[in-house]
Amino acid sequence: MELTILHLYPDCMSLYGEYANVMVLRRHLEATGVSVTVETALFEDTPDFERAGFIYMGAGAERTQKAALAALLPHKEAFQAAVDRGAVVLFTGNAMEALGASVTDAAGKVWPALGLADFTTVETDKRTPEDVVAHTALWESAAVGFMNKCSTTKGVNAPLFDRLSLGFGNEDEKGPEGYVSGNVFATHLTGPILVKNPDFTDLLIRRLFAAKGWELPEKLPVLPYEREAYEVTLKELTGRAGG
Amino acid sequence: MRLVLAVIVCKILRFIGGLLGRGSSLPGQFALKVCPDVLGRVKLPENVIAVTGSNGKTSTVEMIAAILNASGKKVVYNKEGSNQIEGVTTLILSNCSLGGRMRGDVLLLESDERYARHTFRWFHPTHFVITNLYRDQLTRNGHPEWVYDAIKPAVFPETTLVLNADDPLVSCFARDHDPAKVKWFGLDECSVSTKEHHGVYHDGARCPVCKARMEYSCYHYAHIGHYACPSCGHRRHGTDFTVTALDLKEGTLTINGETGLSLAFKSIYNVYNILAAWSVCALAGADRETMAGVINNYMLKNGRMVTFTLGKHRGTLLTSKHENSVAYDTNLAYIAATDRPCTVLVIVDAISRKYFTGETSWLWDIDFDRLSAPHIQKVMLYGRYCNDLAVRFKYSHVPADKIEVGESIATAAEYLKDNGDEDLFVITCFSDRDKLLAHVERNG
Ligand SMILES: [Zn+2]
Repeated sequence: MELTILHLYPDCMSLYGEYANVMVLRRHLEATGVSVTVETALFEDTPDFERAGFIYMGAGAERTQKAALAALLPHKEAFQAAVDRGAVVLFTGNAMEALGASVTDAAGKVWPALGLADFTTVETDKRTPEDVVAHTALWESAAVGFMNKCSTTKGVNAPLFDRLSLGFGNEDEKGPEGYVSGNVFATHLTGPILVKNPDFTDLLIRRLFAAKGWELPEKLPVLPYEREAYEVTLKELTGRAGG
Repeated sequence: MRLVLAVIVCKILRFIGGLLGRGSSLPGQFALKVCPDVLGRVKLPENVIAVTGSNGKTSTVEMIAAILNASGKKVVYNKEGSNQIEGVTTLILSNCSLGGRMRGDVLLLESDERYARHTFRWFHPTHFVITNLYRDQLTRNGHPEWVYDAIKPAVFPETTLVLNADDPLVSCFARDHDPAKVKWFGLDECSVSTKEHHGVYHDGARCPVCKARMEYSCYHYAHIGHYACPSCGHRRHGTDFTVTALDLKEGTLTINGETGLSLAFKSIYNVYNILAAWSVCALAGADRETMAGVINNYMLKNGRMVTFTLGKHRGTLLTSKHENSVAYDTNLAYIAATDRPCTVLVIVDAISRKYFTGETSWLWDIDFDRLSAPHIQKVMLYGRYCNDLAVRFKYSHVPADKIEVGESIATAAEYLKDNGDEDLFVITCFSDRDKLLAHVERNG
């Protein structure tokens, strides 16, 4: 079992320690018996979407994100082809916005995005840095994390999280958050969310195995301290959210 | 009339506050209610110096105050670190005559990156020192470029900018400023410089102007160094105030090739603080001998370092701001540079004392690999977020058999009291340090 992870723009789209998502996923996959290669692409490169089983991009400063959009757009078809053949995609933080139709910056300039989905994003001069507790039908436990965004996203027809008990959704406080379509996952949660949410990591592994046609082991490996870290954060955040 | 009233209100509340030992923002807050534009009405001293940046503001401000005082100037500055508009108002009005004229020759302000534009809406500094912009408290600050955008409206054409030339983002403040009103400080390539970047992340990887790959001829630390963008031409500017030689081991440096100085605290960050203070003091008219005299005799009030005894351990607590990887990396480097066998205790219990958050992504920005040095025998990870720390260390080079994890800080203290006699270093934040210090005998 061999898998290639394509990490897009790790030199600058990793503002809140997002690089850790790739490391943690890799280690979980290896513990499941998969041999993993991580490939990185910078703005100047042509990303090798053809070989990628998993494609990841994290958060960046707003101006860096615009540069990432410009770098990625010429490779839109190759990216779409990878999605069509079932590659698992995870875009977190403002990388999520790249999957929509456009991003409008705080000065009003409209930047075209990949257009895998119809949603559109508008940036403001206000930031929403908030702890998050999020709920999805895709796995049992609540997801925990943090967001640090300055935008609202409208027109998401399939959010990843149906509701939040803490945090700011795509358009409003505690509203639906993120985007999911097939194997494409996106959320404005920043940082190492796979470190924080082992159930999300497990879901991605199941999707990766299914896409490859590999047989899933009966039990996925549990790595030390991850579940405990999750429980503590969940307890702290739900205590604050008022249950 | 409102001005006089505002001054009186501020002085009375300041007096009462002083009796009650209360903070310093309330009097200013009331004065601003009485006279919202009071800061625009007072007559300020000839020199108004502001200092901002992610790290080193307080140390730099204190050094500037010491130098200018020694130069015979009366300096009024916000010692209490109340650097939002209310605190600045209290400071200014407390030092005003009823006629609204401020006493003193220099008003010196440590300015919060996010609030500078509110304060400087009413008066513009004559000199604005911007030291550095790094990842710091991102749960409040967003990210360095966001902080840059927040400071930008506080920069006015008549202000002389005193900028760190070695920081590519800070250098951008000069881009549409009158070049005659920009003064630069920086380090020549020297003993601390490396060809390779060090650290977990590299915020200088991309040019802040055009986002092309930045080229560095050398790094001093993190993204601070000599850079040039091959695409748009944004590059390190030549410097007016320069550290031309530096020996951190000996603790000596040379400024402008002519003045030798000794360092009270042998860290690269202290070198930049000294250089920033030197630059602005020289611009404010201080002479070389006076500046050198003050710096050479400077007793650094290092509240960040506390020594203590715990059982048979000789302990040192190194206060690191949580959510600030540069502060952590400084202390980790300090420990790595020691050579006696030691144990390191890292505590993350409350992430901030000012606000609640469960955000721990900053742990992934810290270069914990530095703790893989062989003389570090054990690394103890404690506090409520010990599991987050433990996961983070799984991706470091610190061997698993050296790591111990537990929640209770009291248990860690108890264990250390009864076991071992090696040196002990404790790394934690202001919000958590007393939880350990309650169990030790403090020295001095
Ligand atoms: Zn450039």
